Amino acid sequence: MATPEEVAYEKFLERVRRTVYIDELTPLATAPVISSAFNQFGTVKKVSFIPNYLGPKELPMGVLVEMENEEMTQAVISTVSQLPFMVAGMPRPVRACAAEPNMFVDKPKKPGRTVRFRWIKPNDPDFDKARRVKRLARKHSAENSFMLKKQLEEAEKLSKQQAETAVTHHKKFEMMDKLLYDGVAQKLAGRYDLKGFPYR
Amino acid sequence: MEESVASEGLEFKWGKKKGVGGKKKDVQFYESFTYDGDEYRLYDCVLVGNASEPDSTEPFIGMIIKIWEHANKHIPKKVKLLWFFKPSEIAPYLEGVPNVLANEVFLASGEGLGLANTNQLEAIGGKCSVLCISKDKRNPQPSDEKFNSADFVFCRAFDVGSCKVVDTIDDKIAGVDVKFIFNRACSEKEATAVQNIEADVNGKSDSLKPNGPLARGASGSVRKIEDSAFESSDCKENSNGCKEEKEKGHYQLAIKKSTLAEERSNKDSGSRGNHYNGKDQESEVKKQLTKQKSMPGEERYSNSFEASGSRTIHSISKKAQENDVKKQLTKQKSMPTGERYSQESSGLDDRPLKKQKLDGSVTVRDGWDTTILQNITSDGKKDTGSFKRPRDKVTIEEVPPEKRSFVKNRDLVVSVSEGKTTKTVTEKGISKKPSFGRAEDKMSADDNERNYQVTEVCRRPDAGKSKWFRSLPWEESMREAEKKGTLVLLQNLDPTYTSDEVEDIVYSALNQQCEARMIERTSVTIPHIGEALVIFKTREVAERVIRRLDEGCLLLSSGRPLVASFAKITPPGKPSLFSGHIKLHKTQTRREMRDAVATSHSSQPNNLEFDMAMEWCLHQARHEQASESVSKRQLEEMKSLRINFKLKLP
Repeated sequence: MATPEEVAYEKFLERVRRTVYIDELTPLATAPVISSAFNQFGTVKKVSFIPNYLGPKELPMGVLVEMENEEMTQAVISTVSQLPFMVAGMPRPVRACAAEPNMFVDKPKKPGRTVRFRWIKPNDPDFDKARRVKRLARKHSAENSFMLKKQLEEAEKLSKQQAETAVTHHKKFEMMDKLLYDGVAQKLAGRYDLKGFPYR
Repeated sequence: MEESVASEGLEFKWGKKKGVGGKKKDVQFYESFTYDGDEYRLYDCVLVGNASEPDSTEPFIGMIIKIWEHANKHIPKKVKLLWFFKPSEIAPYLEGVPNVLANEVFLASGEGLGLANTNQLEAIGGKCSVLCISKDKRNPQPSDEKFNSADFVFCRAFDVGSCKVVDTIDDKIAGVDVKFIFNRACSEKEATAVQNIEADVNGKSDSLKPNGPLARGASGSVRKIEDSAFESSDCKENSNGCKEEKEKGHYQLAIKKSTLAEERSNKDSGSRGNHYNGKDQESEVKKQLTKQKSMPGEERYSNSFEASGSRTIHSISKKAQENDVKKQLTKQKSMPTGERYSQESSGLDDRPLKKQKLDGSVTVRDGWDTTILQNITSDGKKDTGSFKRPRDKVTIEEVPPEKRSFVKNRDLVVSVSEGKTTKTVTEKGISKKPSFGRAEDKMSADDNERNYQVTEVCRRPDAGKSKWFRSLPWEESMREAEKKGTLVLLQNLDPTYTSDEVEDIVYSALNQQCEARMIERTSVTIPHIGEALVIFKTREVAERVIRRLDEGCLLLSSGRPLVASFAKITPPGKPSLFSGHIKLHKTQTRREMRDAVATSHSSQPNNLEFDMAMEWCLHQARHEQASESVSKRQLEEMKSLRINFKLKLP
């Protein structure tokens, strides 16, 4: 027989299975935008933002989108993985993956687990080990934040580059349009005796 | 196109003849041929380059099912290849297919486009071995070593007509009796001779294959960009390293890397002007080289990381990434930091001279060596006697000013000197903490006495939750707390803890009330370290807690000691621009486009937007890969330092 704790945990796990974790979202997107975006895949029950307290400011936002049932979740994940899906702006696509329990801040306690602790005596050989582990943990988080910074820099570079090329492409297409529109192309076609020039 | 008679070009020779055919009996079929030094027989598996991307490093895999030549020598020699699909080629159809192995491929079956193709014989790029691991009765089961040495394996087929993965293999595929497709009953010489480049490429691409978000057409281009990007940026050295390894073996590679790394680390230390540490590292590097196989790149990284400050972290960590990727690709066993220390210590033992010098010198360098010596003792090199060095000379006055800065993440050197202090205390035979002349430390020392046993975390009394915490939502109270200096960041928790558990832990272990919130796991957090933000009542409490957790080691049942520091929160407010979203001028877009942009859509492969989106996908995939390899390495490092939670009974 399941204790109420276990029941609650099971319910939570079920909720996790129905949720998609969306990443690389613009921080400017709002909940209605997101729900209308994912309503194309099925009914969205809840949209919860994951706050960014410790990361750098420009970090793309993460969102947990809870759907009606698991199939919809699968549909979202597979579609977003195969074709770039853009929400509220382009061309940076969002990324989707199945949600995990650790992503929820309001998760219930895992049933049957008690946390125990002990202080380590300074003359215990484990003390040094523990010291090293602590140092290692600090090192790892430093590494992580560094990597994040690098990632953001590269993203910045890429977007600048894309903005430039977008403008150039646009100019090019505009120019082509103009030529066709005001008859220059047609005149040239006549000049060079191009038979069957289509844009008459 | 090369002419059939290969006087120039690669050498070619026909093997056994099979029969004649064709309307005018002018087509000669063969059973085997020799091309460029390799013998190819019927039903051998070969690699074929991708015609639409000549520089692609991902060749197609096919099985030769027919070989022939026209009497007319101007018609090139041909082979018919039955294809195997790589998972990346049929990604959209792999939904719900379980257990796809890293080197698994799918046999093409059924009827339709994509089953088999006729190609010119010269298109063959090399041999490969594809092992059938299907449990089908008709298939002779392969031995384990064959399994490990095979380039690819297959056990399932992909029906090109219905575009589905099928588990059973038909009796005849493309007119070929299935017994030729299964493993041959007789043991033939294993055709595992793959060209060097293929091996490198396959090794690389297998470990770096992104799970492409792509329709079949686009998959090629992404792969190409990905591979070329990798080629050009981080992994140029790797490909050289790979080749070298294949040719020369471990040692030379290790030496080459360590010399590279050594140069780098010397440069770095030089730039910092801290010659002590540089020399230490140098001597240690030499030790390593003379000793055994190691991953000096990795430890160079950690050495130099610890020695340098924040400024050089940039270049070094970048190398760390490189080194990480290197590690993955060369597939060497890496030295976990723990082992390294013990080796260093054994090295030290061999040099009594150095020990002499240490007696009584109190510098940063000394602090560095202290770590090593500490490890000597902890690694069971016994001899606490050897430890009775005149550490007493270590001045405690040095420590307090440095202690102030210990809260910063990067001052690892300081924590080393901290360790130094603690050792001193140990010697004096006190189990209490060094008191810095503060009253509350004495109290905490008493606490320590009590809590050396394993204690369970008990739920803290609800009444303790004071009313004024509740009233504000978390966000506000957090920012308030940061301003007042009562916000603490706890790290190295088990990521599966909940906020409540964290509050309980703080209460039981440190006797403090607090409010906690676990930081959720996202794509940017470290997966194996949990973090939580904790608000205390006053700044003094927060400071005290931090100090206690730093001086002592609070070990949780997950085998991790807690790490605490003051938290720094990103200021509120959203950035005005999101990089990656292009805002075209109003006149530049038509109305429908504008509407489309405001909502959401999937991009189709026929426009510029798609190409740009692909570049972003590449960017994301690259970073996912990098994060994965970094966290793998970190996990290994953590594992090597796992502490046994249960108290060893004396």
